[in-house]
Amino acid sequence: MSSSASKYRARSGAQKVIALSISYERENMLRRGMKIEHLRELLLALAGPMARGGANLAYAGHWRESEDNFTYDLLQLISAERDEQHFASTTSSVPVGWLYNHLAWPLYLLVTPQIEAQWINCCRIIRITQALAGIPAATQAPDPITLPGADAVALNSAVVLSAMRKLVTIGMSLEIPGMPDDQYPKVPALSARVLLGGKTRGYSGFLPGLFEEALLALEHQVPLYILGGFGGSAGVLSDALLAPKGQRPPEFTAVWHEHHTPQVKQLGALAQANPQALPPGIRTTQTALDALYERIEAARGSLALQLRTGLSEGETRELMTTIDIRRAVYLCLKGIMPDAVC
Amino acid sequence: MEAASGEAGRIALTARRNTGLGVSMTDRTIPEVYVLWHPGCQLGEALASSIYAWLRPGHGLGPDVFFRSLPRPDGGGDPLPLPLPGEERRYTAGIAPQPDPNPKVTPRRNQVVTMQVLVLLIDFNMVADASWRYWLEQLSAPSPHKSGPTRVFLPVALDLTSFNIPSSIGRLNFLRPSGLPLPINPTAAAIATVARSLCKQLTESLCRLLLGHLETRTEPADTSATSGMSAAKISIFLSHAKKDGHKPARRIRDYIYAQTQLAAFFDENDIPFGTAFAHVIQSGVGEAHTAALIVILSAIYATRPWCRRELSVFRQPVLDKTHHAGAPEFWRLNPLLVVDALDSGTHTYGIPEVGNSPHIRWTDEQQDLEEQVVTLVLRDALLRTFHAALGRFIPGKPDGSRIVINWLPDPTTLLMIPRVREATAELEVCYPGKGLSALELEVLDRYFPRVDFKNYEQVLA
Repeated sequence: MSSSASKYRARSGAQKVIALSISYERENMLRRGMKIEHLRELLLALAGPMARGGANLAYAGHWRESEDNFTYDLLQLISAERDEQHFASTTSSVPVGWLYNHLAWPLYLLVTPQIEAQWINCCRIIRITQALAGIPAATQAPDPITLPGADAVALNSAVVLSAMRKLVTIGMSLEIPGMPDDQYPKVPALSARVLLGGKTRGYSGFLPGLFEEALLALEHQVPLYILGGFGGSAGVLSDALLAPKGQRPPEFTAVWHEHHTPQVKQLGALAQANPQALPPGIRTTQTALDALYERIEAARGSLALQLRTGLSEGETRELMTTIDIRRAVYLCLKGIMPDAVC
Repeated sequence: MEAASGEAGRIALTARRNTGLGVSMTDRTIPEVYVLWHPGCQLGEALASSIYAWLRPGHGLGPDVFFRSLPRPDGGGDPLPLPLPGEERRYTAGIAPQPDPNPKVTPRRNQVVTMQVLVLLIDFNMVADASWRYWLEQLSAPSPHKSGPTRVFLPVALDLTSFNIPSSIGRLNFLRPSGLPLPINPTAAAIATVARSLCKQLTESLCRLLLGHLETRTEPADTSATSGMSAAKISIFLSHAKKDGHKPARRIRDYIYAQTQLAAFFDENDIPFGTAFAHVIQSGVGEAHTAALIVILSAIYATRPWCRRELSVFRQPVLDKTHHAGAPEFWRLNPLLVVDALDSGTHTYGIPEVGNSPHIRWTDEQQDLEEQVVTLVLRDALLRTFHAALGRFIPGKPDGSRIVINWLPDPTTLLMIPRVREATAELEVCYPGKGLSALELEVLDRYFPRVDFKNYEQVLA
């Protein structure tokens, strides 16, 4: 195979880590005339060129085999791309990226060694433990969990979720027992984050996952691609960013969340009663929502610049509102991996 | 009806059907499919997913399929789904959508869609819902606008009340999938039976709707659901070695006669030896005509010269001579389905002309396999026609260095296109869908180093 064969593989993804926060909420999509099949097409149309171009994908999906779980779709995609590259034996192509699957305590307890071994050449499962999240040993819940409904489990789960989102954003080393520190594999900081769907009610943690991920991306200057046209918390974020200055939607207040997600009130009370369990940098609902709204307010009016999309202002707004899958994919790729669309 | 037979025994099937749908096609008909079902319809979502999977088989191939069921987002008390593109809906005061403060750019595909195919999954919930009835009446009313896509209705009867839908739709021919009514808690297998039957009937309807376009291309577009007539024509050729491929061929032919609305002709002896069949194929393929070939690949097939000749003639891409100045060179290839009828333990030789065509394994024991074969080849003919129409929207390059094809490329078929085979300068070949894998593209690159392969999505984005 000649080296020219690599003209079909973009190169701009090399060394990048692109986080895909894409979740399916049936009602959101069906009200917009689509179902999970459309979302799966969108995800694979995005992830294919990214993986082929050498980008690593960060996707915090679970491992249960269910229709709305995209973990296995991404694994199969990366596995196929790796096999193809192996057989193509091009010397000029960048290696196909990895799937980084960050899993917060206690979710990773469900992943068996058999599953991990099966996908070991495509996927790195990154377990975010209570210790890694900075929870003091004295307040850590037993692992494995002995009392599932205990307060410590509820609070620590939320803390670990927030810590995980931060570690995904800023990157981390993977500590491997028996390996010298300087040999630890590194997971680079995020190069871009794509948001689509997401729950605004009934979520786990202190605030909706996509809200916290958007906040972290804005704080750490990570290019942010919000596909708000498909609804969910990405849609709420989009609407807020596109609204005139000074308008604070109710979804960016703790009162609204405490009303619609009762667990939020419980977490707030637990955090107040156990301040020692809250590691530095972990924000409760009100604090995080205030910080997010501040960022949103600052971004209004110059979205392309503030979200660092690499697109024009018009394209950025279109990306945030379109329900056309092709346009959404095209605009994301144009911003993240321009050589994948030219 | 046309037919021929050669040394090995072949069937040529020609269907001329009245669509009964009152629409006229052009050779640029780009359909977009909408599946509508009432939120209370238990079966709707599963059937909609089956339709999607059938019409969008992967690689980004096939027309767009969208759904309409749940009320539109932020619709207040409005029980109706999102309007269809181009639909002018009158709202009750208080539930009208707010003007969009951020008008969206018109999606690219919507600019080329010329037909909305509405598959209505009708059950008692839809029939009894006054809002839905009103909506369907409005959708089926003649549009005052001459521009915009034609709207076509394909009603599906899910129960006996379905025919009580407003008469503008109720008087159309209904699709009636088998396996209904389902029990209270149906098994997945029971639902799959209904879905398979529905996809089969839908395929036949869409074929009648879309594959007749070349005969009626001069007729003006008509947006009504019930006026006018159009004839549809598709030829299915069946090529097999008489000695050992006769049994599947006979079952497929019998199925077409007995179970489909396609007219069929089969005679192994009336038509002179070999050349006539090739001539029929050649004229069918050579003219702007939709055809599909089913090859019964038996142990002896590859060694029969007339079988190989038929296959070779059929697999010759055809240059579209109707393209206008400035348009890229457009090549069309009709679909081929290979039925693998090798007996266990037998062997045969590969046939290069087959290229990357789909194969289906034959077994005498499976009762409904002929139905699958025929439905699959009709679906592929449908998709190929759709891609041909979409491909015609791809603009040419000023230096003429762009060629458009309507199939997923493979070395054998590409070598039959002179400009690709002899490419001495940079040339771009555009193919349908979202793209081949990098490995497939790199293999093509070895054969055609001066050719750059791009998919329709890349070019039209």
